[in-house]
Amino acid sequence: MSTHRGAAFLDQPYVDPNPLPSSVPHVDELGATSAPLKSASFFIGQHCKDVNEDFMLCKAENRDPAHCLKEGRKVTRCAAEVYVVLLHLPDLPTLPPPLPTQSPADSSLSIGKIRESCLAEFDAHWQCLEKNNQYFQACRKPERALNQCVFTKLNLSKTIPGSPEGQPQVHEKKNPIFTRVQK
Amino acid sequence: MPVPWEALIPFALLTACFGATGTLFSVAKRATNDGKPPRYNLDAWDQMMVERDRRLTGSHRGQSTEPIAPKGFATSSIWQTERIQ
Repeated sequence: MSTHRGAAFLDQPYVDPNPLPSSVPHVDELGATSAPLKSASFFIGQHCKDVNEDFMLCKAENRDPAHCLKEGRKVTRCAAEVYVVLLHLPDLPTLPPPLPTQSPADSSLSIGKIRESCLAEFDAHWQCLEKNNQYFQACRKPERALNQCVFTKLNLSKTIPGSPEGQPQVHEKKNPIFTRVQK
Repeated sequence: MPVPWEALIPFALLTACFGATGTLFSVAKRATNDGKPPRYNLDAWDQMMVERDRRLTGSHRGQSTEPIAPKGFATSSIWQTERIQ
């Protein structure tokens, strides 16, 4: 991104001269920055597996941005769902509408039933990540607490795809090799 | 027999000088990183995320947990107008 550009110093903040036309339905972008997103990444991945795979397959067909707008909107809305539930913000002015493809079994995550959240554990985990170059291996303790809370309240668990079977996952190992940098 | 304490002065001097330099460097790094340790080994993905954080919060290390992005965020990305090599 910034490696192949020439030095272009702008005196004004950049504003896109060609925004999306009004025929494209508007979906609010996620306001989460990198550390909270990384902290919630596996839960978003589990909840939004289908829409994410749809989007990736669509992109694999054609890299043109206009081709995958619909799937992209679904991805944003699904991630916002998990995110809002994790933060427990029932009085948000413009909540994203729930995805129409949700089955009744997913009603535990519907906006109307938001009652529980894991805000404290979530904050602890992403703040720990920020202090450790966003390495997961440095923050296993807050991560364990967050995983426990999210599992009991939202029924989402973290599984690393491609983990070898029969062994505990790397975030559940009793004596991991890689831990935090020695201070 | 008295302890030759003058011989230990160079060691104390070295420790103090290195310690002062190291502390000053660490403080300077933290001042540019909003009080957090600096990021290292950033690949292209991480650089993109840091740039996204800057667009969202104004600072390279600023973090926010807002579910909805601020107003100008959707049109502030220079990515779309970059020429693909």
